[in-house]
Amino acid sequence: MFLSFLSFELRYFLRGWMVWIFLLVMSAMIFGAVSSDNITIGGGLGNTHRNAPWVIENFYGAASILTLLMTTAFVNNSAIRDFQYNTHQMIFSLPISKNGMFLGRFLGASLVAVIPSLGVSIGSLLGRFAPWADADRFGPVDWAAHFNSIITFAIPNTLFIAAILFGIAALFRSTTISFLSALLLLVAFGVTDSFASDLKNETLAALIDPFGSRAFDLTTKYWTVFERNTRSVGLTGLLLWNRLIWVTTAFAIFGLVLRRISLSERASKKTKPVEADVEKRSGSVALPSRRASWTGNVALAQFLGAFRFELRNLIKTPVFVIILSAAMLNCGASLILTSSEAFGNKTFPVTYRMAQIIQGTLYIFLIAIVTFFAGQLVWRDRDERTDEIQDSLPMRDWLLYTSKLSALLVSIFAILSTTIFVGIAVQAFKGYTRFQVGLYVEEILYRDFTLMIFLAVAAFFFHVISPNKYIGYFAFIGFLLFDALGWAAFDVSTRMVNFASRPSIAYSDFYHFAPDSPGFEWFTAYWALFCCLIAIASIAFYRRGKETAWARRSRVAGQRFQGGLRLATFLAAFAFLATGAWVFYNTKILNTLISPKEQKQRRADYENTYKKYENISQPRITAVEYQIDIFPEKRGVEMRAKQKIRNESTQPISEVHFTVDVQHDTDIRIDGATLASDDKRLYYRIYKLAQPLQPNEERTMAFTVKGEQHGFSNVVERTQFVQNGTFFNNQIAPQIGYQAGGEMTDRNDRRKYGLKEKDLMPALERNCVEHCRNTYLSDSSDWVSVDTVISTSADQMAVAPGSLLKEWNENGRNYYHYKLDKDSMNFYSFMSARYDVVREKWNGIDIEIYLHPEHRWNVPRMIQSVKNSLTYYTKNFGPYYHKQARIIEFPRIATFAQAFPGTMPYSESIGFIADLRDPENIDHVFYIVAHEMGHQWWAHQVVGANMQGATVLSETQAQYSALMVMEKEYGRDLMRKFLEFEADRYLRSRGAERLKERPLEKVEASQGYIHYQKGSLVMYYLKEMIGEDKVNAALHQLIDKFAYAPPPYPTSYELVDRLRAQTPPEYQYLIKDLFEDITLFSNRATNVTARKLADGKYEVTVEADIQKLKADAQGNEVEVPVKDWIEVGAFAKPEKGKKFGKTLYRERLLVDTRHITKTFTVAELPEKAGIDPFHLLVDRTPDDNTRKIDLK
Amino acid sequence: MELVIRGLSKTYPNGVRALDDVDLNIPRGMFGLLGPNGAGKSTLMRTIATLQEPDSGEVLLGSLNVLTQKDEVRRRLGYLPQDFGVYPRISARGMLDHIALLKGFTKSGERKDVVDAMLQRVNLWDVRKKALSGFSGGMRQRFGIAQALIGSPELLIVDEPTAGLDPGERNRFYNLLSEIGENVIVILSTHIVEDVMDLCTSMAIINKGKVLFSGAPEQAIETLAGRIWQRTVTKAELLDIEQRHRVISHKLIAGRPLVHVYSDADPGDGFIAAHPNLEDVFFARIAGTGLSAEAGN
Repeated sequence: MFLSFLSFELRYFLRGWMVWIFLLVMSAMIFGAVSSDNITIGGGLGNTHRNAPWVIENFYGAASILTLLMTTAFVNNSAIRDFQYNTHQMIFSLPISKNGMFLGRFLGASLVAVIPSLGVSIGSLLGRFAPWADADRFGPVDWAAHFNSIITFAIPNTLFIAAILFGIAALFRSTTISFLSALLLLVAFGVTDSFASDLKNETLAALIDPFGSRAFDLTTKYWTVFERNTRSVGLTGLLLWNRLIWVTTAFAIFGLVLRRISLSERASKKTKPVEADVEKRSGSVALPSRRASWTGNVALAQFLGAFRFELRNLIKTPVFVIILSAAMLNCGASLILTSSEAFGNKTFPVTYRMAQIIQGTLYIFLIAIVTFFAGQLVWRDRDERTDEIQDSLPMRDWLLYTSKLSALLVSIFAILSTTIFVGIAVQAFKGYTRFQVGLYVEEILYRDFTLMIFLAVAAFFFHVISPNKYIGYFAFIGFLLFDALGWAAFDVSTRMVNFASRPSIAYSDFYHFAPDSPGFEWFTAYWALFCCLIAIASIAFYRRGKETAWARRSRVAGQRFQGGLRLATFLAAFAFLATGAWVFYNTKILNTLISPKEQKQRRADYENTYKKYENISQPRITAVEYQIDIFPEKRGVEMRAKQKIRNESTQPISEVHFTVDVQHDTDIRIDGATLASDDKRLYYRIYKLAQPLQPNEERTMAFTVKGEQHGFSNVVERTQFVQNGTFFNNQIAPQIGYQAGGEMTDRNDRRKYGLKEKDLMPALERNCVEHCRNTYLSDSSDWVSVDTVISTSADQMAVAPGSLLKEWNENGRNYYHYKLDKDSMNFYSFMSARYDVVREKWNGIDIEIYLHPEHRWNVPRMIQSVKNSLTYYTKNFGPYYHKQARIIEFPRIATFAQAFPGTMPYSESIGFIADLRDPENIDHVFYIVAHEMGHQWWAHQVVGANMQGATVLSETQAQYSALMVMEKEYGRDLMRKFLEFEADRYLRSRGAERLKERPLEKVEASQGYIHYQKGSLVMYYLKEMIGEDKVNAALHQLIDKFAYAPPPYPTSYELVDRLRAQTPPEYQYLIKDLFEDITLFSNRATNVTARKLADGKYEVTVEADIQKLKADAQGNEVEVPVKDWIEVGAFAKPEKGKKFGKTLYRERLLVDTRHITKTFTVAELPEKAGIDPFHLLVDRTPDDNTRKIDLK
Repeated sequence: MELVIRGLSKTYPNGVRALDDVDLNIPRGMFGLLGPNGAGKSTLMRTIATLQEPDSGEVLLGSLNVLTQKDEVRRRLGYLPQDFGVYPRISARGMLDHIALLKGFTKSGERKDVVDAMLQRVNLWDVRKKALSGFSGGMRQRFGIAQALIGSPELLIVDEPTAGLDPGERNRFYNLLSEIGENVIVILSTHIVEDVMDLCTSMAIINKGKVLFSGAPEQAIETLAGRIWQRTVTKAELLDIEQRHRVISHKLIAGRPLVHVYSDADPGDGFIAAHPNLEDVFFARIAGTGLSAEAGN
């Protein structure tokens, strides 16, 4: 019985087209993802092979979500086929066993449902044969990975989904309910997703993810490129548990359902049959003979009535209610829960973040609602067979279309309005009272709602012209996909063809939406008029009656196209063309629009044409005098400068080369020089000097850089220049010589454009002189004096580097004269905004915070951090040479803080909005300020030569400096928490390395995870081992020798050697492990016991395994013998609300075996003990270092 | 007022010729449109109800051109399709109110009067708040006629309205129709011959898109006077009889076939003269039994 049902099911589906279409779709998607960079599923791959075992397993995991709906289609069909085709009475009257039938069908459908996911294997096996695929990025085929993926993902996930949905389908016998349940499963997946972002819940999140992807992520999160390329995970560990849990759950549900369902016919419960008393009053009432008067505004009244009717119908639909509940649940929960910024910290629920959360969590549902209900609404009358009655009623032809569209849009509008209320309520609940209702309205109800209108009009249009609902859905979704992805494939970047797209900029409290505003509005008008036209077409072709043939419908459309509709068409068409012409004029003529391909081509050409000049002798800048006028209202700037250039080489220089700014007009004047070459496409100029610049000769050159916004552009450009919050640096000035920074860095792009592989930085060398003439930040200057007169509009304040010498008002503009107190790096910013300034003093140094008047929350923390930093750094490293330390807030265009000489621009969206009220959290405002203050020594006094390891002298030391200031302020426990985050980020980032993981002393400037995260871990560990004073002594020596010193600049060896000199003999191995090698540990407490002694103390025994590993650049790790000093320790139970308990014991042991046993005595009841309890070492699995104590 | 149909033809994309040069004059009163399944009745009715575009021909309602002045026609139209559905989750009154609005009753008080009176008239008052989707076939059909009658249409089209109704419901339905009076054009399509006989003052028979007869029912029967003969046969004889005579119908009476044949003179073989009825006309016409030449208007 069972077998015959099973084989029938298999044959039934395998003969059909559905399974093969799904397999084809899946194979094609994976084929695309594997062979091309333009299609991505999951995150970036870096150096990982495109067909690496890890990638295959990831794809299989992701595919489970994609195949969910496919599986639903199979099992739903199996479970309710008999009811759909009305064969149930026939089948169920046969002598069959219920269990045999359901199990047979279920297994048959499930097995077939596994087939589409095999497309992952097909796609990834074929991917390398794509003509555009890059053979270098493929490794050997790893069959084990395919096998493992199938048994860990494809089969269990399909069984899980199938069991649940088969059960639901068999119970409810409704396709709609089946698919809705599938959608709910997807939502449930999304909810576990938000849990997983919190570090503490990782294991739990891995177990509660029904598809196992998260368990896989957790298992492999610290995998290196090498491991990703060679290893695959089968049914083991966390993944096994996850699979067991979910497959068991699914079968339990299936079993329960099986017991509940019966084969008997069921009365429809949906609507109760009603019977009227037929004979009562029959004939006693006269037939009403009233006729409609057709007076007044009948059309309007009919429209309002029909609209109400449609709206009521729509919001009563169960599907609508269910999607909406899921959406509101998702959005509401996120509004309440999402608050983390960096290091698990909270931010204030500022309005733009609430809007962001609403967009991120709600809009996918809204698009689903628009997509689904556009089809439902257009086709409902025909689906429910009310069309014949309705269509013969004397209503206007536009009535059905407009009332349905309005019903959909009004419901969307109501949902959006509701989320605004929820957002405001959440803000109030969190004690945040700066409600920006206007911003909510503008962002959500204008900017986003108009997009929904555009989408809805398009969706309706596709359904109106489609012969049936399914083609309508298919066409609309296809259109959306093409609109989102397709244009890039044709290298078309103008928004004029990219439906509903508009140039936009993220809101900032500084400028609201001002920088995008003319463009955004004109594009909105453009698309609105376009939508008017397709709406008119939809009305003309809206199906009324039974006619399906296009010729007939066109004739009807012609009849409708009269009077008002015709007039509206001409007006809309005219306005659309006029707007289009205006948009075209602004985006293509007033502004240039360069396609992404052309942009890359230019970078390639720049390199090919001018790289030959990279090493020619060029003069160096020694002093600059600026006169800068900022025109915020027209987003304009005019920078006039005189700069001294000097020949510091030994040869005369007869040509000066410049790379000029792309977005500004540059005029360069050098006495006696002629413009020999001016490449307007690649922005490269060569000036010939009539009188060559002799060695050590200095001359003055002048330049003017000018620009302002003309009209509006296709994308919002020049975002440094805004109506309020201008923030630009001196790199808009002409840069002397070839700029290697303009080269393409992506390996694949480089190969595609025929460029040879780029070694990011020159190799580290000892005793270097010639190669150390430049810092890694500049190749055309050393220490430069800067004098600036800067002006801005009367309502704004402008800031330039150095002390403010004079301030005046002239021609209704504010003028400021700044001068650097100490020659610095030629790298600084200029800013202008309507600032509030908070001033304090520390030992004669002005501490100034320039900020948006409404962002005062964390100013005291910032000032405190500046003071503490100045105190610590001047005491331990050396003097501070500027007379001021400024923190200057800039708009949300970017999210970073940066250090320039004496000034630290700091983004509106970090720090300024951090919620620091919980003292258990890491005060990252304090941290970031301390880091940037650290740069005043590390980068702006001592700066590395342009070679590997340069950033160890700047970023790593700024990290170390900040750690010390933080530890003094907040204590050790918070440092532990901070370093846990650093370790996590370091270990995770290794796997995504695109090039080679370098040891710390050879870090590339682009390897942030090494110079920041690993740098923190290394420096803190070294400080723990050899002591803070020793580390600081080495750093002080470095400052003494290299602060503001002329070239050659120091390399990382200068630091490492000094640290080595400070390190006692027994710890010498550390220098090699930490700086020269990539060293990791995998330490684990295996058994931890304690027993109470007679005197009330406790004897603790810790057994632990120690594993020391060295990794190569690809992450290939080999175990090495251990001979290291490692701590053991024990902690008491943490107090309520605290993360860490009191340290009861801490001892450093010389460990030279793979397994140790250590016994010690503690005074109080211990809770946890273990090896390396403070996570000082870089440990691949830090969680198992300590264990709960077994009290004997 | 009269509904005039001239040269109406319609061929579906799949090649089916649904209307083939149909000419009809339909006066006020009840007009029966008789034809077997698939004869083109529904196509004809939908075309008159502005729901379908013919390939050629014209339809005039008085001075209105049905094919171009659709809105004007719809204001005068009541249409009960052969097969219609209802929205889920909506009450009889809610739906009727919606239809009344679309029929031009824009003032809510006026609309309420009309809807309530109509609900009482068709005996749905007690269930007015119940979901339409739970209605029985008879109640649903009463709802259907109620919506068609709202606004006192001058042209009422009812397409196979009694299919699936029990005899009681069918009688009540026809009582309601007959009440509408002589001043309205009522087109009733059906394949049940008695309905036409009982109700209609004029009629047409169509088959395969062609009008085979149009006129008064009595006139139709008259054309067969003396030409219909009947006999009860055994099943074994049937084949033989069918070969030798122009059989227009046979049906089982108490388990034995009763055969009607067409013959201008006594066909012999034990056939006796039968009183022709409309059913004979119907079968004779659609069987094309030598009468097409006589089928005049």
